[in-house]
Amino acid sequence: MKTALVTGGSRGIGRAICIKLAEESDYHILINYHSNKSAAIETLKLVKEHGNTGEIIQFDVANSESVKTNLDIWLDTNKDSVIEVIVNNAGITKDGLFMWMPKADWDAVINTSLSGFFNVTNHLMQKMLRNRYGRIVNMVSVSGVKGTAGQTNYSAAKGAIVAATKALAQEVAKRKITVNAVAPGFIKSDMTAALDEKELKKLIPINRFGEAEEVANLVSFLVSKKAAYITGEIININGGIYS
Amino acid sequence: MDKNTIITKVNDFLVDEFEAELDELTPEANLKETLELDSLDYVDLVVAVESEFGVKLAAEDFVGVETLENFYNLIDKKVN
Repeated sequence: MKTALVTGGSRGIGRAICIKLAEESDYHILINYHSNKSAAIETLKLVKEHGNTGEIIQFDVANSESVKTNLDIWLDTNKDSVIEVIVNNAGITKDGLFMWMPKADWDAVINTSLSGFFNVTNHLMQKMLRNRYGRIVNMVSVSGVKGTAGQTNYSAAKGAIVAATKALAQEVAKRKITVNAVAPGFIKSDMTAALDEKELKKLIPINRFGEAEEVANLVSFLVSKKAAYITGEIININGGIYS
Repeated sequence: MDKNTIITKVNDFLVDEFEAELDELTPEANLKETLELDSLDYVDLVVAVESEFGVKLAAEDFVGVETLENFYNLIDKKVN
């Protein structure tokens, strides 16, 4: 059973990616969630409605032991399966001016948004190398390529993943594993619900926030065999706000 | 497990999985060059050893391992 793991897959962009992969691929969808089980179950229901199979898996990407334990349990009970796709989507924000930023807010964002990528991808990498095929898509952000005031922690985490994407892509390309990053701008989701869309959209050349499904379309393409020659790329999807 | 059994088992999987020629597999042969290993291929070597001998090799275990004799000795040390 070829499987696609989507971290932070229960809501927002993660949910949209799960649904799009269900629609456009044959992958069994492994939906990771941290705390919102009911949202994960709802995503699973939508995956099944879109004609595919899936299941939910709980772990906090920031907790390396939890990642290992839960993925190992899944791998042990699905011995004929291979996780061929990893979408590293889980991330959090704790915004604030750097001069006032508590160390705890810095650490929390780095641990989830940066170390989460390491914990999940590193643990699955040997098997993916043995499989001699794979797709890794890292969800970053316009903050990681441009930098955003008030998001020094988030910008640092995402910027680090941008660099890691380029490095890892070179390491594993020989084994037909591609590693790319997707950098969304303002996308309608829980993370942007508190923002003043009416004001902010004036800054966006396309003059609107993006839809989660539009991001999912790009991820689905990168996961597909059509994208075999694209690796180490950071693809902006931001309505023209930064290029 | 005695050393000769280890050598036979290692040579068998090197022939089967790494397309090595049996007559190339002399104790003094260079492991990396004989098997044409690149850094990623060590993953396959680690998995093959784990599968055959039930022991796990880490990256640091390969420090100083240059010849097949070094490799046989490494597995001998791990197994026994």
